[in-house]
Amino acid sequence: MSLETLDSPRAAAPDLLRFGVPLALALVLVAFSLMAPGFLTLSNIVGVLVNNVALAAIVSIAMTLTVASGGTDLSVGTAVDLGSLAFVSAIIAGQPVWIAAVLGVLAGIGTGLFNALLIAGLSITPFLATLGTLFIGHSLQQLTTDGGNPVYVPTGSIPPALAFIGHGAVFGVPLALWLVAILAAAAWLLLARSRFGREVLAVGTEPQVALYSGLPVRSVLAFIYIASAAIASIAGILISANVNAYVPYSGNAYLLNSIGAAFIGTSLSRTRRANIPGTLLGVLLLGFVSNGLLLIGWNFYWQQVGSGLLIFLALLLAFTGRRDAA
Amino acid sequence: MTILAPTLAMRGLVKTFGPTRALDGASLTVAPGTVHGLVGQNGAGKSTLIKILAGLVTPDAGDIEVGGTPLGPLSPRGAEELGIAFIHQDRLLVPTATVGEALFLGQERSGSRHGLWRGRLERRAAGLLERFFGIALPKGALIQDLTTAQQQIVQITRALLADPKIIVFDEPTASLSRREVDHLFEVIGQLKAHGLTSIYISHYLAEIERICDAVTVMRNGRDVAHVDPRTTGTAEITRLMVDRDVKDLFPRHNATAGAPVLSVSGLAAPPAFRDVSFTLHRGEVLGLTGLLGSGAKDLVRSLFGLSPARTGRIEVDGRPVRLGSPGAAVRRGIAMVPEDRRAQGVALALAVDENTTLASLPAFSRFGFIDRARERLRVSRLIDELKIKTSGPEAAVRTLSGGNQQKVVIAKWLARQSRIYVLDEPTVGVDVAAKAEIYRLIARLAEQGAAILLLSADLDELLGVSDRILVMYRGEIVSEHIPSETTGARLLAASVSGARAEGIAHVA
Repeated sequence: MSLETLDSPRAAAPDLLRFGVPLALALVLVAFSLMAPGFLTLSNIVGVLVNNVALAAIVSIAMTLTVASGGTDLSVGTAVDLGSLAFVSAIIAGQPVWIAAVLGVLAGIGTGLFNALLIAGLSITPFLATLGTLFIGHSLQQLTTDGGNPVYVPTGSIPPALAFIGHGAVFGVPLALWLVAILAAAAWLLLARSRFGREVLAVGTEPQVALYSGLPVRSVLAFIYIASAAIASIAGILISANVNAYVPYSGNAYLLNSIGAAFIGTSLSRTRRANIPGTLLGVLLLGFVSNGLLLIGWNFYWQQVGSGLLIFLALLLAFTGRRDAA
Repeated sequence: MTILAPTLAMRGLVKTFGPTRALDGASLTVAPGTVHGLVGQNGAGKSTLIKILAGLVTPDAGDIEVGGTPLGPLSPRGAEELGIAFIHQDRLLVPTATVGEALFLGQERSGSRHGLWRGRLERRAAGLLERFFGIALPKGALIQDLTTAQQQIVQITRALLADPKIIVFDEPTASLSRREVDHLFEVIGQLKAHGLTSIYISHYLAEIERICDAVTVMRNGRDVAHVDPRTTGTAEITRLMVDRDVKDLFPRHNATAGAPVLSVSGLAAPPAFRDVSFTLHRGEVLGLTGLLGSGAKDLVRSLFGLSPARTGRIEVDGRPVRLGSPGAAVRRGIAMVPEDRRAQGVALALAVDENTTLASLPAFSRFGFIDRARERLRVSRLIDELKIKTSGPEAAVRTLSGGNQQKVVIAKWLARQSRIYVLDEPTVGVDVAAKAEIYRLIARLAEQGAAILLLSADLDELLGVSDRILVMYRGEIVSEHIPSETTGARLLAASVSGARAEGIAHVA
């Protein structure tokens, strides 16, 4: 008999906490709409979704995959940037937009392959391996762009397809949001419903047990890091199409938010597992908090304090929830 | 340093947790300067009794006397002040600490801020280990570099620094090799010579018989018998614990060995083992034993593709196979029940159903997606079949007892329809009743035509369950025994000295 069995489980408490984050999101929306009249308008909400949330959501989906496999991908931003660089370079070289997009994703896959080689091949911890990739990616961008200069698609020759990717809408919904929906649905199916997702879960929580059950631990990890980088590079293509340029190191802006969102999402799950719906809620919460703070006139420099407090709150909920669940 | 420890008496203890009555008027009296055994199945109330002594649990009724003075409910602090120390089976040392840090960390009594003076700290630690146990650990070693036995010695030394009068050992040998157990017993003997009292809790009755002066047997929350282990045999103690006869513990299976399923010839992975040849048949339980370093462990690992053998030939169903990874072994129908159940056998954070289907996901998937309905149905059936005690297929395996966790591991391979079972110490750390159930499962597997290779250091278990027993010594199979024609002493002699001549039954 262990100590755990001595405490009678308080069944109601974890459930209450589980709804803490959706509740917090609702509270944030109500509070800001009272304080800032412009907050709860359709144009502001669509603006937040397209400008703050969509790209962060795509990078966070990528991050969720690696968190589910028991690691992290600190080089998601590198995959964003290299995807963007390859995409823009191909367009400037006169390639059709779809070929440029394929090249952009291939650049992402290349980044992921490198991570996979380090993590699955050489058994380096994901944290260190992807940190190394982050540094190398930084240098690579400096070397190929004269020390880190933006690369612009000449204004006169912007292909219509590029403008469509950057600003287009299908059935009135911006293309970026369609992409988020498609990627989120695919990643959710993969993690929560597929056989592969179960293998990821086992590798992510108990790699030894996965090995002793005959699972291909290394291939699972390799696939996850390649998929993560490939998804992140799609965000890079979207960014470039939006500003008609490659802007160096812009991908790293999404790194911290994506880690935050993935872990907020984990804290939502009763079983403390990385999950796509939770991650999306985390992205929404972080996005609306920073937008709301901006609207009520908080100094831009203070906004990250808001995000920080939010993550502390989520961790606190997760921590108390875990103790109760024990 | 001879300390006269006080007499400890706990009387009429009652403790209920919700609907469960963990203690129902239990008493424990321990004479000073003795080694007192405390035995009972899981759930008999041993742990609760000890937790009351540690001040972790407050009893509903009953009293505690130390040295004739009645005490109120104990607190952890109070237990420490009385000089009661606890050595737990789970190592409570920080893995990345040095030996010195592990010994002195959090011990304000030494007064100096030696944390800053690592060299001095380590020298003091080395001095103490030398003085108490006459051993020298590698210089600058971290806790994680030490063997389990060495870690345990560090833990005991740490407890001794607080000048205890009574030391409680809670399943201290669960993860120790036989040699390490011998060493621990020497240490306990030394403590006794110094006048300390020890309370010794173990599932291994042979150990109790070896070192205890008196034994309290617990069953259903009460102390049901007080026996002298020198006059009462382990069979009788077992009967008192489970209230049924020990011969029921080892059910014989009715299968007759059929066609060869796994044959190994000239297998070698120097320096661990060499020239290993044997054949395992359908419906057969083949025992395997050997001391630490005999290569038996490495042989078992290589058969599951964990550390592949260099040379030799492995045939499954007469076809030569390469077992280069666990995945390859699993595809050939080989199942592994690893010794370290909690790190390798079950994923504690995952649910019973998720654990059960982990090795056979393709069978539960359609177009790459998991068929939850089929999964749930199969797992529910296995839970019934193996009588796994769980609140349901979706309960986390963490919430199950050790024996039931082990059944989940076996269920995992049944779901895969594996035909060759490699069992590595399958009953370590589970109580007598769960052991009996695991033995019944092994017998049933054999009757259903499975071929079983059982690696165990528990000679009674090998004699009770196996059809044949192979003994390894220094990397080679030195003898083969038939249980009905051999004894534990012979097996032991073969493991210790590599004696080849005696007990050879027939060559496979």
